[in-house]
Amino acid sequence: MIRREPEYQIPRKGLTVWRLYGLIYTIFLSIIAGVASFLTYKFDGPTFIYYIAIVFVAIPALALIWLFPKIRWDHWRYEVREHEIEIQSGLFVVTRTLIPMVRVQHVDTSQGPILKKYDLANISISTAATTHVIPMLITEEADRLRARISELARVAEDDV
Amino acid sequence: MMYKKYKLHPVSAVINFIKGLKELIIPFLIIAVANGFKIESNDFWEYIPLLIFLLVLIFYLISGFIRWWTFVYWFEENELRVEYGLFIKKKRYIPFDRIQSFNYKESIFHRIFGLVQVMVETAGSTDGKPEVVLTAITREEASQIERETKKVNIEQASENEFEDKNQLEAVEVQQDLHEIIYKISAKDLFLLATTSNSIGVVIAGVAAFISQVSEFIPYERIFEELSIFIQFGFMIVLMTIFFTFLMAWIVSIIITFINYYDFTVVQENDRIVITRGLLEKKRITIPKNRVQGIKIVENPIRQMVKYATVVVESASGGFGEHDKKIMLFPIISNQRMLEPLRQLFPHFDFEMEPDFIRPPKKAKPHFYRIDILWLLPIIGLCSYFFYPLGLFSILFVLPVLMLRLWQYKTNGFIITGNQLTLRYRVISRVTFIAEKKRIQVVQSKQNYFQKRKNIASIQATVMSGITGATARVSHLNESDVNELLSWFEKSKEMKKEDA
Repeated sequence: MIRREPEYQIPRKGLTVWRLYGLIYTIFLSIIAGVASFLTYKFDGPTFIYYIAIVFVAIPALALIWLFPKIRWDHWRYEVREHEIEIQSGLFVVTRTLIPMVRVQHVDTSQGPILKKYDLANISISTAATTHVIPMLITEEADRLRARISELARVAEDDV
Repeated sequence: MMYKKYKLHPVSAVINFIKGLKELIIPFLIIAVANGFKIESNDFWEYIPLLIFLLVLIFYLISGFIRWWTFVYWFEENELRVEYGLFIKKKRYIPFDRIQSFNYKESIFHRIFGLVQVMVETAGSTDGKPEVVLTAITREEASQIERETKKVNIEQASENEFEDKNQLEAVEVQQDLHEIIYKISAKDLFLLATTSNSIGVVIAGVAAFISQVSEFIPYERIFEELSIFIQFGFMIVLMTIFFTFLMAWIVSIIITFINYYDFTVVQENDRIVITRGLLEKKRITIPKNRVQGIKIVENPIRQMVKYATVVVESASGGFGEHDKKIMLFPIISNQRMLEPLRQLFPHFDFEMEPDFIRPPKKAKPHFYRIDILWLLPIIGLCSYFFYPLGLFSILFVLPVLMLRLWQYKTNGFIITGNQLTLRYRVISRVTFIAEKKRIQVVQSKQNYFQKRKNIASIQATVMSGITGATARVSHLNESDVNELLSWFEKSKEMKKEDA
C-alpha cells in the first residue's frame, strides 16, 4: 500500500528565510571563531587553531545555509482536509503526522520580525496532548488556513 | 440568603508550614555545609545566613497560618466556592457538574486528628495539579462536599429528562453498584517488591550506606570463627555482597509494603476508585470516560513469571504531581488480569497474544545497526587504553545485541475494530491499548535507510498529563504503517461511501 504525499509545499520564500536563519547562526559562529583567531594571533598560539576555526565556521555554514534548508524544504508538505490535517516534515527522519479534526483544540498563527519582513507566518495546531507547526506560510494563506481549520474543527463530530 | 462558610481544620496551618519547610531543606543544607556546621563564632557576619534562614522560617510560619485563617469554602448556586488570601484575595468557583472527581490523601498528621486532604479535579486540571486543594477537613465535611455535588448533579440530570422520576430512580439504583475489582494480597506485595525495578536503586543506596558505615561494622568479630576455616578477605567481600542484597530486598519490601498496603480497586458506577497506603492513605477516583489508554507493562523478570503491571493513562492527574501514571494493578498474573480488565473496560479487547503485525525480516538489522555507532568508539577506546584487558569490552556487544533482537521479537501492532494495540519493548515489554477516539495524533517516521528498505516506524499519542503519552513501534513494513494511518483517517472514507 502506497501513500501519496500531502499536497502542498511551503512557499519558496520559506526556504530563503531558513537560509537567512542559517546565515545568522553562521555569523554568530564566525564571531566566536574570529575571537579565537584574534586571541591566537595576539598570544602567538599554534597555527592549527586557525584551521580549526575555519572548519568550525565553514562546515556549519555549508550545512545550515545550503544543505539543511534545502532538504527540509523538500520534505515539508502539508494538507488540510475535511477530517484531518496531514503534515510531513523532517531533516534526516521524515515524520508524517496525522491529526484528526475532532482532536484539534486550537490554532494559532505567529510571526516574528524576520517572518514579518517576508510576509510569512507560522501556524501551530494544538491537540489536548501535542502541538504541531506548519511553518513559513504566506501570511494571507496562514490566516485563511487558521480560519478554515478552526471552522472544520468546530463542525467535526466524534463518529467513532 | 447567607450561605454557611466552612473553614479548614487548624491543623492545616501546621501542614502548610511543614510543606514550606520541605522546600527549605535543600537551601538550609547548602548554608549548613557552606558554614561547615560551625555555629559558634564571634564574627557577627557569619550569623547572617542563619538569620536570613530564621526570618524565612518565621515568614513560612505566618503565611501558613494566614492561609488557613483566610481560607473559606462554601456551596452556592450549584458551585463549590473557595476564597483565600489576605492582601490578594483569590476566589475560585467551580460548578458541581464540572467536578470530575475527588481525591483524598491522609498523612499520619491527618490521621491523628481524623482529617483528610481533599483534591478537587476538574476537566481543566490536566497538568496533574488539582483545581482546589482543601488541606485538612474532617471526614464528615469531606463526605458533605461529595453529597452536595452528587445531589446537584442528580437534580440537573433529572431536570434535563422528561421522566425525571424514572431517571432519579435509575440513578439511585445505579448508585448501589460497588464492586471490588482487585485487592492486593500479601503474596503479591512480596512479589511486587522483589521484582520491582526500584530494587536496583535500593541496592545502590544500601551499598553506599554500607560502604559509609563499614568502618564501624565489627567484621573481625563477626567472622572471627569463620575465618579460621576460610580465607578471610574473600569471605568478607562475599558476605558484604550478600548482606547488601538482603538489606536491599528487605528495605524494598518495607517501602513497597508501606506504599501499596491494602491496594484496592473498586468499581463504582462509571468510576474507578483506587485506595492504597499504610501510613499515608491515598484514595483517587478516575471517571472511566477520562481513561485514555491502558498500558500493560512486564519487566523481564515479571514476564518470566508471567506477571504484569497495569497502568492507566488518564486525562486527570494521579496520586499527585510526582506520579502521574495511575497504577491500576501494581502486580497481577497474566491470566488473572483479563477478567477484572474486561469488567472495567468491556469495550476493549484484551487478547494478549493476538496475531500482531510484526516487523519484517529485512528490518532486523535496523534494530541493532544504530548501536554500532556508539559501541565501536567505546570498544575502541577501551581496547586502546586498557590493552589487553580492554579487549573484553567487546563483550558489551552481547547484551546490547540480545536486547535489540528481543525488541525485534516483541514489536508489533494490531487493529481490532476501533481499537489499536501497540506492543514494544524498551527493556520492559509494554502493551499499549487505546481506542481510536482517544488517540490524539498518529505519526509515522522514516529515515533514509528505512526508506531504502521500505520500512517505517509508527507512534501514537494519547492525552495524559501535559505532554501526553506516546507509544512507538519501530521498523515495520511501510505498507503496514500506511494501513494504520489510513485506519486512523477512516472516518472520512466511510462518510464518503455513505454519501
